[in-house]
Amino acid sequence: MNILNWATGLHGYLFVGAAMFVLGLIGILSRKNAIGILLGIELILNAAGINFVAFSKYRTASIDGQMVALFIILIAAAEAAVALAIILRLYRLRETIDAAEANLMRN
Amino acid sequence: MSNGLKLVLFLAEILTLGSAVLVALHPNVLYASVALLFAFLGVAVMFVYAGADFIAGAQVIVYVGGVTILILFAIMLTQWLYKLNLREIPGKILLPILVVGVAVVPALYKVIRELTAFIEKAPPTDLEKFSSLPKTSVIGQALLTNYVLPFEAITILLLGALVGAVWLARPTK
Repeated sequence: MNILNWATGLHGYLFVGAAMFVLGLIGILSRKNAIGILLGIELILNAAGINFVAFSKYRTASIDGQMVALFIILIAAAEAAVALAIILRLYRLRETIDAAEANLMRN
Repeated sequence: MSNGLKLVLFLAEILTLGSAVLVALHPNVLYASVALLFAFLGVAVMFVYAGADFIAGAQVIVYVGGVTILILFAIMLTQWLYKLNLREIPGKILLPILVVGVAVVPALYKVIRELTAFIEKAPPTDLEKFSSLPKTSVIGQALLTNYVLPFEAITILLLGALVGAVWLARPTK
């Protein structure tokens, strides 16, 4: 029961948020695939949302943190739409979505 | 909160973490994006338990119903399923894990230790009441009073992002 109480309180929320942030960072750093990098970014944004919602309950017991989480969700949706449009564009131009191949502006 | 309810939250956290591990480490991006869907669902359950019912609904609608499907569309449109270049080179994973483990994890650990100690010294008094309160009307009123400026800014951001996405994805001549 001890681990259950620990995991369902503030500690559990912060632990899950931190672990998702770390995993998203590892995903971003280890992948060359542009869509894989986008998956990591979504994980990190969601981890931030978890932290805001948890502090909204356990620190202030008010609505403010939830508003920030709502704006994070909206911005993540807009970001995903633009990122996928860029990825489709890159695929049409270069026949690849490897992030290392996107070097049109290098020379 | 009864022990059964706590167990459900605990299982949702395990689902979230397991799916997040798959998202970060699975070599096939298609499987990783399906795992992302389950991670989003687990986070939605966690939001419900933190008293954020409206945010949980928005999470399910926007992330599970929108972003994940969009990502799956992008994968299907850009790559052949199960083709070799869908997979990453194995062995490249060790350096990022080492860098993140040395540089980020200790800092996060220290921050969480100090923050939880700080917050548990003075917890808010009306915590149970806040958790059981429905949030939709409160959020609606906040959006049109205290948060009207970010609300208007985000409408312009969404408009710009959608127009920009359509323009970027236009057919090439």
